[in-house]
Amino acid sequence: MIAFVAFSLRRAWLGFWRNAVMSIAATATMVLMLLLLAGFWIVQAGLLAGLEFVEQKVEIVADLHDDARQEDVDDLVVRVRAMPEVDRVTFVSREEALERFRAAREAQGQEDLTRYLETNPLHASIEVGLVDTRDFGLVSERLRGEAAVERVKNIKDLVDRVLTVTDFLRTSGTVVLLVIGFIVLFIIVNTIRLAVVARADEIEVMRLVGASDAFIRWPFVFEGAFMGLLGAVLALAVLGVAADPLNRFMFDFFRVLPIDVAPLARDLVLLVGGAGLGLGVLGSWISVRTYLIR
Amino acid sequence: MTLVAPESPPRPSRPSPRRWFGRRRTIQVPDDALVVLRDVTKRYPNGKLALVDVDLVVPEGDFVFLVGPSGAGKSTIMRLLIRDELATRGQVIVDGRDVARLSRRQIPKVRRTIGIVFQDFKLLPSKTVYENVAFALEVTGTPRKRIRPTVDRVLALVGLTGVVDQYPRQLSGGEQQRTAIARALVHEPKLIIADEPTGNLDPLISWEIIQLLLRINELGVTVLMATHDADVVTSLRRRVVALEEGRIIRDEAGGTYHRED
Repeated sequence: MIAFVAFSLRRAWLGFWRNAVMSIAATATMVLMLLLLAGFWIVQAGLLAGLEFVEQKVEIVADLHDDARQEDVDDLVVRVRAMPEVDRVTFVSREEALERFRAAREAQGQEDLTRYLETNPLHASIEVGLVDTRDFGLVSERLRGEAAVERVKNIKDLVDRVLTVTDFLRTSGTVVLLVIGFIVLFIIVNTIRLAVVARADEIEVMRLVGASDAFIRWPFVFEGAFMGLLGAVLALAVLGVAADPLNRFMFDFFRVLPIDVAPLARDLVLLVGGAGLGLGVLGSWISVRTYLIR
Repeated sequence: MTLVAPESPPRPSRPSPRRWFGRRRTIQVPDDALVVLRDVTKRYPNGKLALVDVDLVVPEGDFVFLVGPSGAGKSTIMRLLIRDELATRGQVIVDGRDVARLSRRQIPKVRRTIGIVFQDFKLLPSKTVYENVAFALEVTGTPRKRIRPTVDRVLALVGLTGVVDQYPRQLSGGEQQRTAIARALVHEPKLIIADEPTGNLDPLISWEIIQLLLRINELGVTVLMATHDADVVTSLRRRVVALEEGRIIRDEAGGTYHRED
């Protein structure tokens, strides 16, 4: 068994270098395809984070009765916070509402008209962030039933439209990624097939002298795995070199979006490494199979 | 003992309506028959009928010439023997085994009992003479320490001791064919199948190759050789099996290439 593995590995290594042109062409294709896959995957990750960010901006704002008692309001906040659909609850008092209004006016460079007011015209409110924006209607309805709530701003149409757009983008991102994945799969499998077909004579001789299927298959599978890993390492090296300028270029993007770079990089290494190895093995397995089954 | 083989029952996997009305055939199968083709018909997927009702028995140690025009079915018989193709109907038995019943695992083992030699040698250009011959042992899992003595022995047998480190392109056609024969011999086969082994060689070299095959035959290896070389066949007076359009039209011991009327 050990002899067999050693034999297969040695043959795979020799096979790779004896057909250097084909092997290098296949590896280069592998690198390009993996970069393509990684690129789209990064874009997809950014897209998802962006959509998440947009959806998180959707909040339910419930204005409270001005005469609501503080205990009732506190009680309301506690109960709303306990709802499983709810991510966060912020209480905004009338004074805070006025502060915010003033700050907004000032930011826009407009005159603060509120100082001509004798009383504060704004209501206290609670702002409810949701775990899943799709629960907007449900939670709004519940809040409307609360005694302390005067009214809930109805932005359901807007929320629905936002959701339609984000759902569409999310789905199309996934579809594009899948299509890219299939394209990469077919191109890699076909490239490896070319490399195997170039050695049809060798396989023919092996069959004729009575080599078992395992002895014919495994060297090619190891060779495919080797090509895949080499391709993955090279692709990751390219990504590593490109990471710094890319980061600088996308700095603003990352500053806005709460993307955690470390797990993203880890996933990327797993994706590229796994795809390289898997496609290399799969490609050679399929390609050699044609010669084994008669 | 002479065994009268009854017609084999139709295999359930490939029912053949003809069998129900078929002629009853009996073939004399000697005990030492290495190759038996019993009522074999081969039709390729493209519809070409390559062999029709072929019966052939080759006893162990025999030397048989297969003659006939191109496309008569000589190569098909050889492919059936190494189970590269399956007979459409009939039975192919090599060394006591029905090749159609071999499992995928057994096929390579049976192939090791058959050495094959081709007109175009089928040597690997990137390997030396030694490596080409050793390759047949490596890919069948032979322990490394047994490879060198075996390869040295067969290379000595075919007279190639001087060129072991040369590549095929550096060799003459005759030397390349000797290398191929050496490769065919490393598994100590019971049967050598040679498909027009002298087709690419000039007459003098052809004779050397034939002499080599005869010597191998004398060592007890059965040889089945397809050829167009009338001079060789006629002068050696061995068994001649003539094929035409997929049928055996002549099978005679001590025969000639052309029919003697």
